Amino acid sequence: MSILKVLLAEDDPDIQKVVRMSLKMKGVKEVVVTDNGEECLARLSDFAPDVILLDVMMPKLDGYGTCRKLKENPATREIPVIFLTAKAQHYEVKQGMDVGALGYLIKPFDPMTLYDQISELLANRNKGT
Amino acid sequence: MKEKLPLDILNSLTSGVIAVDAENRVVFVNRAMARRLNVQPTDWEGRHAAELLGQITTHMAAAQDEMTFRLGWAREPKAKLSQEIEWRTGSETLHLREDSAPLRDAAGNVAGRLFLYHDISREKSIDRMKSEFIAVASHELRTPMTSIKGSVDLILSGFAGEITADSQELLEIAQKSCDRLVRLINDILDLAKIEAGQVKLHLVPMDLTDIVEHAIRGVRSLADQGEVVLHVERADGLPHVDVDKDRIEQVVTNLLSNAIKFAPAKSIVTVDLRAEEGWVQCSVIDRGVGIAEADLPKVFGKFQQVGAKKKGGTGLGLAITQALIAEHHGRIWVESQLGQGTSFIFRLPALPK
Repeated sequence: MSILKVLLAEDDPDIQKVVRMSLKMKGVKEVVVTDNGEECLARLSDFAPDVILLDVMMPKLDGYGTCRKLKENPATREIPVIFLTAKAQHYEVKQGMDVGALGYLIKPFDPMTLYDQISELLANRNKGT
Repeated sequence: MKEKLPLDILNSLTSGVIAVDAENRVVFVNRAMARRLNVQPTDWEGRHAAELLGQITTHMAAAQDEMTFRLGWAREPKAKLSQEIEWRTGSETLHLREDSAPLRDAAGNVAGRLFLYHDISREKSIDRMKSEFIAVASHELRTPMTSIKGSVDLILSGFAGEITADSQELLEIAQKSCDRLVRLINDILDLAKIEAGQVKLHLVPMDLTDIVEHAIRGVRSLADQGEVVLHVERADGLPHVDVDKDRIEQVVTNLLSNAIKFAPAKSIVTVDLRAEEGWVQCSVIDRGVGIAEADLPKVFGKFQQVGAKKKGGTGLGLAITQALIAEHHGRIWVESQLGQGTSFIFRLPALPK
């Protein structure tokens, strides 16, 4: 399945640009960028992404809290969430997976393979693995 | 038995001491422990130890299981036990290490047990600070590296337009340095975690051969590039070892990568696996230039560059390797002769067959 629409929650403007460019390069049509978890949740009222990429450390509402809210809401529960974060400790990864994320990608990521990594996680989910 | 204890010494200790007899009755509480428990040293004599030890586990989860474990020495009286416990007294939480060992009578028979309580609250607090530092440093270093590496990789991909040959060459230098910096950050944080005791090993009994073979598959392309032949020699009937597969594979991969980097083209790097008096021994042997005797003590140091040529490592690989082997209660050392080659040898405790 090709990924066409991505919602990104990331507070670092430079990383926002790198993620947007790396996904656009691989054919993603629309990358909607938000600065924090609250904005990300609000944006879902008029945007239906194929996947949500979440940073962890963000103002207002962090990534873990955002994911928890997404999974609590029946309207957003099924949207796959992948963390894209510099929080690389073992317990941080576990915390991310415990709140219902599909995957956990650690910064710095390779912009040339980011799309493929997301795609693989989505494909595994669809296969039920 | 009480009379035989050097009471003055025990009462001078700042650590707590409790002695119990073979029926688990308290025979002695030193002054430091009595102060902690807010009792008179003689108040508890003759009472059952579970009552007293129970006070130290007040509010602890599964206190009953703990008690069973701590008094379990009665079934194995010779066992020395050590565990960390949390002692909540009012608003204060103390971290104590409880060590216990058998007390023997004049004939050498086990007649009771001695419990020692060391306050390790300060060490715990320093550990917490270290963990926080590691987590913050990790995050703060990775974030700018993401922007730098991402930007350089994207420009080099041609996504942002064509670049000149000179620009390409300079950007490739930046890209290589970024990758090296990421490896360095990962290694520094990995070593800090191991040294802070924050790496949890997932131990499983395994044949070391399986790990070696997996590691060899991982370094095969590096060996092919250097025209180095990899060869495994394995003794029959090798016992299993209790290992964290990923971590020991990290050790073997590191030793193999080093050996390949320093091995001359067309030479052989050998991995020799054998059993040695209660150990399983793994040697990674190259026929490279070797290491001068004076440099041998430095090889496991941090950021030590032994030999004339830089070979592109982070300078932490062997320090991490040594720390991981120590975490597995093993030993690692190096043997080398200039012009002959180098052997890195590690041993892990063999499991009974």
